[in-house]
Parts: sequence; structure tokens; C-alpha cells
Amino acid sequence: MTENNLQPLSSLQEDVQDFDALCLAKSYFDLKEYDRAAYFLRGCSSQKGYFLYMYSCYLSGEKKKDDETVDSLGPLEKGQVRNEALRELRAELSKKHRAGELDGFALYLYGVVLRKLDLLKEAVDVFVEAIHALPLHWGSWLELCNLITNIEMLKSLSLPDCWIKDFFLAHMYTELQMIKEALQKYQSLIDVGFSKSTYIISQIAVAYHNIRDIDQALLLFNELRNQDPYRIENMDTFSNLLYVRSMKAELSFLAHDLAEIDKYRVETCCVIGNYYSLRSQHEKAALYFQRALKLNPRCLGAWTLMGHEYMEMKNTSAAIQAYRHAIEVNKRDYRAWYGLGQTYEILKLHFYCLYYYRRAHQLRPNDSRMLVALGECYEKLSQLVEAKKCYWRAYSVGDVERMALLKLAKLHEQLNESDDAAQCYIIYIQDVYSCAEPLEHVEVSTALRYLGQYYFKNKRYDEAALCAQRCCDSNDAREEGKALLRQISQVREQGEAASADVSHPCVFGPLSNNNTPVRRVSPLDLSSVTP
Amino acid sequence: MASVHESLYFNPMMTNGVVHANVFGIKDWVTPYKISVLVLLVEMVKSKRMALIERRRLNKLILPLQQGPDLTLSQLLKTVEECAPKMAATLKIKLRDMVAGNLRDMESFFDTLPNPFSESESEASKTSVVGLFMRHMLLAYNKLSFSQVYKLYIALQHYYVAGTGGGTWRSTADVDMDLNEMELTGVEDTAGAKAEKEELDTGPMQEAELIDESQRRCPLSQKQAEYFLVRQAYLLKTDENKALKAAALQEELNNMLKFNPDFAEAHYVTYLNSMRVQDIYTSTHSLLHYFDRLILTGSDGKSNGDEGYGRSLRYAALNLAALHCRFAHYQQAELALQEAIRIAQESSDHVCLQHCLSWLYTLEHMKGSDSSVLTEDSVKMAAHFCLPYLASLGIQSLVQQGATGGKTANKLMDALKDTDILHWKHSLSELIDISLAQTTSLWRMYGKSTMAQQQAQLLLNMNSLEQVNYGVQQNNTEPFAVVLCHLAELHAQQGLFGAASEILTHLKQQFPPHTQHAKLWMLCDLKIQFERAMNDGKYHQAEAQVTAIAALSETEGLYRKALVLKAQNRSGEAYGVLQRLQALSEDGRSTEMAVRVMLTTAELHWESSSFTTALPLLLRALALARQHHLQALASETILHLAFSQLMLGVPEQALNILQEAMEPVLAHGSLLDKGRALLLVAKCQMAVADRAGDRHAALELAVHTLDETATYFSRLGCRERLREVYYLQARLHHLLGHTPQRNKCAMHFRMLDQELQGGGTQPVTRL
Repeated sequence: MTENNLQPLSSLQEDVQDFDALCLAKSYFDLKEYDRAAYFLRGCSSQKGYFLYMYSCYLSGEKKKDDETVDSLGPLEKGQVRNEALRELRAELSKKHRAGELDGFALYLYGVVLRKLDLLKEAVDVFVEAIHALPLHWGSWLELCNLITNIEMLKSLSLPDCWIKDFFLAHMYTELQMIKEALQKYQSLIDVGFSKSTYIISQIAVAYHNIRDIDQALLLFNELRNQDPYRIENMDTFSNLLYVRSMKAELSFLAHDLAEIDKYRVETCCVIGNYYSLRSQHEKAALYFQRALKLNPRCLGAWTLMGHEYMEMKNTSAAIQAYRHAIEVNKRDYRAWYGLGQTYEILKLHFYCLYYYRRAHQLRPNDSRMLVALGECYEKLSQLVEAKKCYWRAYSVGDVERMALLKLAKLHEQLNESDDAAQCYIIYIQDVYSCAEPLEHVEVSTALRYLGQYYFKNKRYDEAALCAQRCCDSNDAREEGKALLRQISQVREQGEAASADVSHPCVFGPLSNNNTPVRRVSPLDLSSVTP
Repeated sequence: MASVHESLYFNPMMTNGVVHANVFGIKDWVTPYKISVLVLLVEMVKSKRMALIERRRLNKLILPLQQGPDLTLSQLLKTVEECAPKMAATLKIKLRDMVAGNLRDMESFFDTLPNPFSESESEASKTSVVGLFMRHMLLAYNKLSFSQVYKLYIALQHYYVAGTGGGTWRSTADVDMDLNEMELTGVEDTAGAKAEKEELDTGPMQEAELIDESQRRCPLSQKQAEYFLVRQAYLLKTDENKALKAAALQEELNNMLKFNPDFAEAHYVTYLNSMRVQDIYTSTHSLLHYFDRLILTGSDGKSNGDEGYGRSLRYAALNLAALHCRFAHYQQAELALQEAIRIAQESSDHVCLQHCLSWLYTLEHMKGSDSSVLTEDSVKMAAHFCLPYLASLGIQSLVQQGATGGKTANKLMDALKDTDILHWKHSLSELIDISLAQTTSLWRMYGKSTMAQQQAQLLLNMNSLEQVNYGVQQNNTEPFAVVLCHLAELHAQQGLFGAASEILTHLKQQFPPHTQHAKLWMLCDLKIQFERAMNDGKYHQAEAQVTAIAALSETEGLYRKALVLKAQNRSGEAYGVLQRLQALSEDGRSTEMAVRVMLTTAELHWESSSFTTALPLLLRALALARQHHLQALASETILHLAFSQLMLGVPEQALNILQEAMEPVLAHGSLLDKGRALLLVAKCQMAVADRAGDRHAALELAVHTLDETATYFSRLGCRERLREVYYLQARLHHLLGHTPQRNKCAMHFRMLDQELQGGGTQPVTRL
């Protein structure tokens, strides 16, 4: 209710007249006695009084509706509980609207009423009008943001040229998953003087979270915590990041901190849930997510997270339930679709879960996890062509888990396509060596072992020897590496000239320039199997 | 999206994170209607003096009133009035008293409710249906919170006002009820205002109220919703036309889901409804959604038991397979089926496995491979596990395969008879329908048109075993479509084109073009039109039909194309098409087509006057037809053979073998066959007349035969053939010296000849 800050200095005659009533009503309003507030405002003629009157009526209706839902007369009646005040409000507001007597706040209220009545198109128009009348009212912008579904719609709106529009656009871009544009906008806002705004920092952090740039996001969140230590907003996102990085200590610290500030907040519950989840106390975690949902049943993240917890507890039916709820709240929640797919995969329904993974993939076409999951399912169903396509695509969009190539290589190996398999292993090894992360010995040694054999078969003994030596570095492939080396030296002793082909790619030397030709499994048309 | 937000509220009954679809465990809620029924029951118990007939009628009413969906008060009063007018009046008065008073009246009603029932001599004991209902209601009432009781009372007042046409009780209101009256007029006013507003405003609520014929104010209650869904699902299965239109039904379902997203069955009906409009996207989505929901409602934890969600998982996979099968995605269907089989095996659910098996052979069959071994296994297993439905479905499938595979007729008929016994024993009305339709098809295939007709009529006139109250006697399932198509074709064959077209109009009505079985009658309609055009010599028309037929059935289209080409004297092309057809029909899946292709090829040979080369082909066709007991085709082959012999100059021989074919042709054959056979006989008679002793008598006989032939051809409208007949008759009369008759025939010939300008050359070389 920030928009209701009273300004007694207003010069208007009516305002002065209504001032007493307004003050009284505002007090009642702040005490959530809406009907009482409305009663004392009924004769007011000033714009402010009128708005507060209408807003009290609206909130009173909403409150009654919420109370009604608890004791309705039967499970099916719950859906028909409606805010009875809406129709009357709409009738009156539309009358005044036609007469042009509404100010920015009243227009905003009119828009809210229209949206609640599912008259979305009209609502958009009214919100735009409200924004024109009162550009600095962020509430109207936010409501408008909820009604915009795509970029075309956004472009078609005529919005006032005000500095706040940039905030709106940045927010909108984040919502529409256009993270790059959003970051640009926020950066430019920082440059023009909003560098100290915690809001902007939090938004940027969330944006980085969305594109899975975890380090950047963590950095920003830590900064945010420094600047605004009692902040609870967005902390659930922060905890997600800490969870992903398994930073137990930090997460524990955050959870305790937030619980101290306010333990009955949705964000707090989510953070605590994450904390327990990380400590593998899944029952407790689920309990906290449930509490979050009790506090706000429309909290999308909590449903999905609860689904994950139930998955951990092997309670698949409850997990499915939770994910379905998440989807009901937001059909575009790819994590819930992915979670459903995983649940069914655990139940060994590989064909069945394809559908869910496909949905998830549709929502996040460039996320390799879905593609790998899809590929695995296809592999289980022995649809190897599709599986290959999936893995290759997963690699092409930037594989986060670095598993796609390995799986692809193994598939090629199975199909006796040794050249392709070798290429994949080469790229895999290059990838692994090029990044500084600690090596996973098992997988690398598998790749090396295969490559050694491959080169040996193709009589390229130098490369084979190199691979075999590398094999010897790791524990589990040492014996094989040595055996291969012996074989190579035997063959060389027999005097056969190694007919190494210079133009062939080799793993370590000439390969660093990344000119490996890989036969592309093209076209990547997953739709061939999509009904 | 917003609507979902609104309807999603936190459920206090959530336990273990699972919100059960039927949260409160009881479906019974006290509603104004239920109170009315209670009042009625109390009155019935109280009133000792009642005519026996009235009491009996009322007693019969109790169960439907208790279990049925909520009625409006006017409907309820009308129903009661039909049984006992006095009782209706009492009921109305009692209700009015309760409504006109205040909350106390309703409370005291519930307080004293058990009294009339607990008396020892009472007819309604505690454990009776009535007693149980009463106690249920009492329990439900006692569970209500303070505000809920008040709401219930308000609802009762609305109910009364709406049911009695508004405020009739107000006139009788006493002076001391002033206060109440004020309050109640207020209530009434708001109700009226609400109604006005709703008229003004076409919100999404409006459509929800257009259910069935009765207009309802409120969304459906649980029971009503269930009833609605069951009814719609049933209608979708049996008689699509009676169900709501696809769009309207969808709107209805969306509404229902908006009010109660947990109502899983609605998703299933959505799935059925989307299948109706061939929308794979929505149907897959809804099916999976339904099973996601179903898994929740099943008891959790027991993943492998017979009950619990392991079971629904298996059936989920199976249903997915069925869905893909329906959309002809055979590979997908197979994958889904394999999955279903695997998990069914893991949990050793034989019933589910059995279902999978029957789908497996269906799938194999649809894919075109031989699945008889699988089917036999399936039947054996189904019999072992006592699943009569699957067993006889398997047998029917076997019969179908056997029929095309050349099993002897008596075996097939025996099998069908055995399954029929099974059906009647278990009242499997669906399978009875299928069985009759199958028998019709079998008889038709064997060329016994009368028997086919009789079986078809049997199905159409049979009283359905399904519940009578839906008023569905002749529903629009596949068997009916098949039978009606057969009937149409049979009528057309007998030259009764009016009747045939009437049947087709009926089919069009019953199975609108977008529905699943519409293809059947479309093909049938096209075939009839094609035959007519061919008989009439309008080949260009027939050519147009060919493309349409080819779209519906590839082989049939090719065959008809060959016929048209042959008729247009484009023998080379025709021969090419026939070769292709022969290759197609060689896998033994369609013997009928194979025989027909041979016959047509033989006719092509005739055109090049190589009658001798046609003979081996015809003999092969005859052997094949006899082997498969295709009597109609066998007789037709004999006609062809006889014709070849006639042309080769052995009319006596021809007459000999014709004797054999004449009887079945005249008994069962189509008009065209009859005409052709008689014409051939007449020609043979003419040919042998020269060598016969009494030439005159022989010729007279031929003339007589030709007379009969002419009637057949004229009924069919084969003008070219008719012209030939008249020509022959004129020649014969001329030979016999009957000048007036000769002139008459000549005149007929001349008229027809003028009509048929184009076809100047007489194709001698045809039957």
C-alpha cells in the first residue's frame, strides 16, 4: 500500500474536506478492517478517498473469498467461491472510466478487477492507461507484466517514455527468458546512477541464476547480503545456488540467519527446506516446503522442490502429485516436467517418460540435461538413431555434465562405427584436458583405452603408444596400457613400418588447434519420432 | 493461467504431501436438495394413512432420489406429485415452514430427525437404505461449522425460492415474521439482481449451466459431475451423436477442471473427446494427466500389489499404446506396449498381461503381419484366467483371420456360435453386436446374400442389453456401421437404389463424416455409385469415383481403376494395374481380391480374343474360390468359364457347367449376375439350337430367357446390355417369324441405340 501515502499538503479543496475521514479510514484500512474503512469513506468526493473506498471494497471481497474457501459446503463448491464485490466494482468503475473520472490509482484498481474477472484484454488496455496516467506506480507495471505473454505483445504496447520503463523492460526480459537483453538493460540502469539499488543487484543475480552462471550469481548474492543483510526476498534463489554448489556451511548460515529474521516467510521455508535437503534429511525438507506452500499455495518453486524431495524419499506417487501441482500453477515450469520424466524413468517406464522429457525439452531447447535424458531413454528403447541425435545435440548446445559425448562414443562403439567413436573420444578427451577441472579417471581411461586400441588397429603406432602411456597414468587401465605398449613394441620389432598417416588427427599434439573433423549426425530432427 | 492461480487453494486435508482427490472421504454433503429428500422421508414415515398404491410408488422413488444427482425443487415436486399429489403438497408446506422461519427451524429439524426412524415399529430401521442415508446426512450436518450451517440455510432459501417460482410463501407470512421477511426479501432481491447480472454478463459460468436440458445455476456437485462424465463417456463409446458436440463438451470439461483441478476423470473424458476430433496432442496430454492423477488416488507405497498405483502404471502404459495404435503410430505403440508388458511381467499381473497380449496381436494384425499364433495363445491364456471378454474377442479375431485364410466355413461358424454362448452367459452386449456383424460379413463373403441380410436385420432389430434408460437401442458403434453398409450394398445389388440411398442417409446422420467409422460408409457409398456409373456406361463418372475410392482403400482403388481402364479399352494400362494388384494380393490376405483380379485379367484376355489363354487363369480362380468357399465368386468364375467355352465353340459344354452355377446365382446373386447368367444361357441356347432336334422350341426357350434377362437389366439400368438383349430378341423373333414382337424389340433397340450415341461399337467380348 505504498501508493496510499497520505499527502496532507495537497492543495485540493476536496482533499482538505475529506482529510479527517481519510485518516480514520486509512487507520482502519491498515488494521485490515476493510468494511469499516469503506463505511467511513462512502461520502468522500476526493480522488484519494474514492480510491481508498473502492480498494477497501475490493480487499474486503478478497478477504471474504479467502475465508469462504476454508469452509465451503463440499469439495466441489470450493471452485465457485468468488469475490462477490468484483461485479459491482466493475460496474461502477467502468461507468466512471467511461466518464474519464478515474485517476491513475483507480485505473490500476479497475485493471485488477478486470483481470480477476478474466477479462484479460480489457485489463491490458486499462493498465496501459493507468501507466500513462501515473508512470511511477510500479504496481501497474507489475500487473501488466503478468498479462504479457510474448515479446510481440510487449512490442505492440505503447508505453510512456519514462525512466521506469527501463526497469519494466528489464523485468519483462527476465520473465520472457531473454536474459542477455535483461542484463544489458540492468547494466545501463546501473551506469546512469542506480548502482546502489539492491533491487537491480538482486535482479541481475536472478538473471545469472536463470542462465546457470552460478559463480557470477553467487558473487552478486553475497554482495547483496552485505548491502542488505536483513533482506528475505530472492534468498530462496540464493539458497538454490548454494545447494547446487553443495556449500553446506554457507547454506546453514543463511538458513539460520533468515529464520532469525522471520521464520514465517515463504522464502525462509524454502531456504530451510533446501538446507535439510542438502543434509539428506528429506522428510524435514518436505515438511518445510509444505509449510512454504501453506503460507503461499501459489509458490511455484516449492511444489517442484517438494517433488524433488519426495523423489529422494522414493515416494514416487507423492512426487508425481507435487510436480503435477507445479505444472498446474505454471505450465511452463520445465523442472516439473523434467522431474515427472525422472520419476517415470525410475519406475522404468522409459517410453512413458519420453513425453515428459520432450515437454521439458520444448521449454528449454538448449538445455543439455533434457537432451541427455531423452537420449538415455531412446537408448533404453534401442532407438539408437534418435539417441545419437540427442547426444550430439546435447553436446552441441554445450553439455554441462560432459556426459553426452561419452555416451555418444559408447553408442558408436556398440554400433561398430569405430571412426565415429574415436572422434567422439578425441573430442571428449580434449574437452576434459582443456578445462581445469579434476579428471574423472574412469571415463578418461575408458576413452584412452579405446583410442589406443583404435590406433593400434589402424596401424598408427605412435598415437597408440601415446594413448597407452596415458593409460598407464591411471590406476584401473594401467595393465591394459602396458599390454598395449608391449604389443606395439612387438609389432615394431617385427619390422613393419608404421604407416602413420600424418593427416590423421592425433589426441595430444596437433589436436590442440581443434580442427577435428567430426561426422555430424544431421539433421538433428527430433520431431521424426515425435507424434 | 490466472484462473488456475485462483482455483488453487491450500488444502487443509493434505497429508503426507498428497492431496487425495476425494479429500474428505465422503461424497455426501448436505445440500438443500438432500434436506428436501429428508423432509420427504420423514413425512413418509410419519403419515400412516396412505393409499397402498401411492406408498408403493413413493417407495420405488426413494432409491433414485437418494442416489441420483441433485434436482431442482420444481423437478423434485413434480416427480413426487406424479406418485402422490398429497405428499408433494405436504413436502412443499414443510419446506416453506422451514424456509419462512429462521435458522432454528432447520436446526430443530435435524435435531428431531432421528426420532421418527428410531421407533421400534418404524419401517425404516437404522441399517436400511433410508436409515443409512439419514445417518449419513446427520453426520455430515453435524460436521458443518457455524458459518457453513448458515450458508446452508441461505442456500435452502434460495433453493426454495428458485423452485417455487419465487416468494409464494410470502403472502402467508405472519405479522410476527416481519424481521425475517425483511431479511428474506433482501435475500431474494440479491438473488434476482444476481440473475439479472448474469444475463448481462456472459462470463465463463454461463456455459457450465447448459448441461443437459436442465438449466442449473451452480456448478456441478461431485455426484452430478460424476454422472455427467459417466454419461458422456458412455455416449462417446456407444452413440457419439447423442453426446455433446466436441467443442461444447470440451468447454464443459474445462469448466469442471477449473473448479476442481483434482477431478481426474474429467481428464479422461477430455482424452476421449480429443480422440474424437483426432487431436493427438491434447489426447496424449490428457491421458497422461489422467494417469498422473490416478496414480495419486491409488494407495501409495504398494508399487507391486494388485491394487495401488503399480497397477495404474501398467494400464497407463497400455493405454498409451492404445492411443498410438488408434493414431496408427505403430512403432510408438509397439514401444509403449513392450513397456506395459515388461512391467506387467515384473509384477506378474496376468490380467494386464492378457490385455497386453490382445493388443499385441491387434497391433501385429494392423501392421499386416500374420498374428494367428499370438491370437491363439491369447485365447488360451484368457480362457485360463477366466477373462471371457478377451477370450471371445480373440476368437473373433481368429475367425476374421481364418476367414481370409481359407478356413472352412463350418469351423468358423462353430467358433462364432461357441463365443455367442459365452457372450450371452456374460451379457457382453458389445461382443454380441460384433459377432452378428461378423456373421453378416462372413455370409456376404461366402456369397449368401439372404443369410447376410437376415443376420444384419437380426442385429438391427435386436434389443440391446445395455441399460434401457439411456434410450439407446441402435447405437453408432462399428458393428452397426458395418452391418448397415452391407445392407446398403445388398440393396444396391438388387437394384433397390432408393432403399440403399436411404440407408446411406441414415448412416450419414448416424456417423457424421468426421467420426471414426465414417470411412466405412464413405467407401460403401462410393462403391455403389461406381457400380451404377459402370453399369450405365458413364465411365468418366466412374473415373472420378476411383480417385475417391483410392483415398479410402488402396487395393480397392486400384481394382476399380483397372475396371475403368478396361472399359475404356485402355487394355495395356489396365493390364499393368492388374499386375500390380496381383502382386499386392498374393500374400493371401485378400482372397476375394485375388480371384476378382484373375477374372478381370481373363476378361482382358478375351478382348484380344485369346480365349484359350484365359482358361487356365479362370480355372485357377475357380480353384481358389472353391477352396475358400467363396460361392458368389465361384459362380461368377463359372460364368466366365462358360463364356470362354461358348466363344471357343463348345456351347453344349458351356450349358453343362452353367447348370451348376445357375442355381446359386439365381438364389443369391446380384441382379447383374442374374442378368448376365441368363443372357449367357440364352446365347448358349441359341448356339445349340442349330444342333438341337426342335430348333423352334429351342429358340422359343432362348427368347423366354432373354425376356427375363431384360427385366433384370432394365431394373439395374444397364442400357448397353439391354440394347444387346433387344437386338438378340429381335433377331430371334425374326427367325421365328414373330413380326410384331420383332418390330417391338427392334424399336426398343433403336431407341436405346439413339440414347447411347457414344458406344457405337458393340463389345461382343464381354459377359
